[in-house]
Amino acid sequence: MSAKHREFESEALVHMDVLYGLALRFTGGDDAAAQDLVQDTLLKAYRAWDKFESGTNCRAWLTTILRNTFINDLRRRQARPAPVEYDEVAERSVYPQLHEEDAEGGFFDRIVDQEVIRAIEELPEDFRVPLVLADLEGIGYQEISELLEIPVGTVKSRLFRARRRLQQRLYRYAVEMGYIR
Amino acid sequence: MTNDEQPPGDAVSPEGGGTSDELSCEEAARNVFEYLDGELPPDRSEKVHRHVEMCRRCYPYFNFERAFLDYVHDRGMRPARSAELEERLNRLLKDLEDRER
Ligand SMILES: [Zn+2]
Repeated sequence: MSAKHREFESEALVHMDVLYGLALRFTGGDDAAAQDLVQDTLLKAYRAWDKFESGTNCRAWLTTILRNTFINDLRRRQARPAPVEYDEVAERSVYPQLHEEDAEGGFFDRIVDQEVIRAIEELPEDFRVPLVLADLEGIGYQEISELLEIPVGTVKSRLFRARRRLQQRLYRYAVEMGYIR
Repeated sequence: MTNDEQPPGDAVSPEGGGTSDELSCEEAARNVFEYLDGELPPDRSEKVHRHVEMCRRCYPYFNFERAFLDYVHDRGMRPARSAELEERLNRLLKDLEDRER
């Protein structure tokens, strides 16, 4: 085994599970697309390996490659975007329903992880991508606006709607499961 | 201006803003995400902060939304495992190495 190969394995390949998780969130749970995305990412990283400075944050470097790869592909696909449907009812905070029994948000901790993952992955793409960028990756509005080539105001409103939809869905789930009255 | 019967969080639009020196609960609630994301201009952020710290309706509401965002971040980043992907990548790397030899 070559030194490069060994190094790549111990520094890059160890992040495969993180990359695959993120790829699933980006692609809305599309397993084949997520696997392709991770493969493309690691292939690019392998080819550019001599540009990567050993000892710096490899995971951050890889997630940036993954993000850019996904977004380039998204732009190509969305050359003619489908209109987004807006659902005002789903865009309220669940706080008014919950504040008497759970003011501090501990309610969310009672929901199993898998349901949150599913809820994120099932958001419409226009809402899901800004949410993954902002809430999972911690990227600011301005950078998201540049990445997705949409105005900052649109980033804000899509993020707002994405979060509200997510909350509403988790709330309905919690009620169905009897976690809350 | 405030209404104790109605908890904040009902704003359906992220837009808005006031010009008076004191924010109403509705105005503060409209800025909740921008505030929590650290995306408000400093003076506006300070105004929201001052309101929320002193308001018994908004304080728990803002904590609630913050808990929600933390929760989405923590759970959303969860890694995933695929034996199929692992195998695919190992094969790919082996091919690349063979070609480079
Ligand atoms: Zn208030």
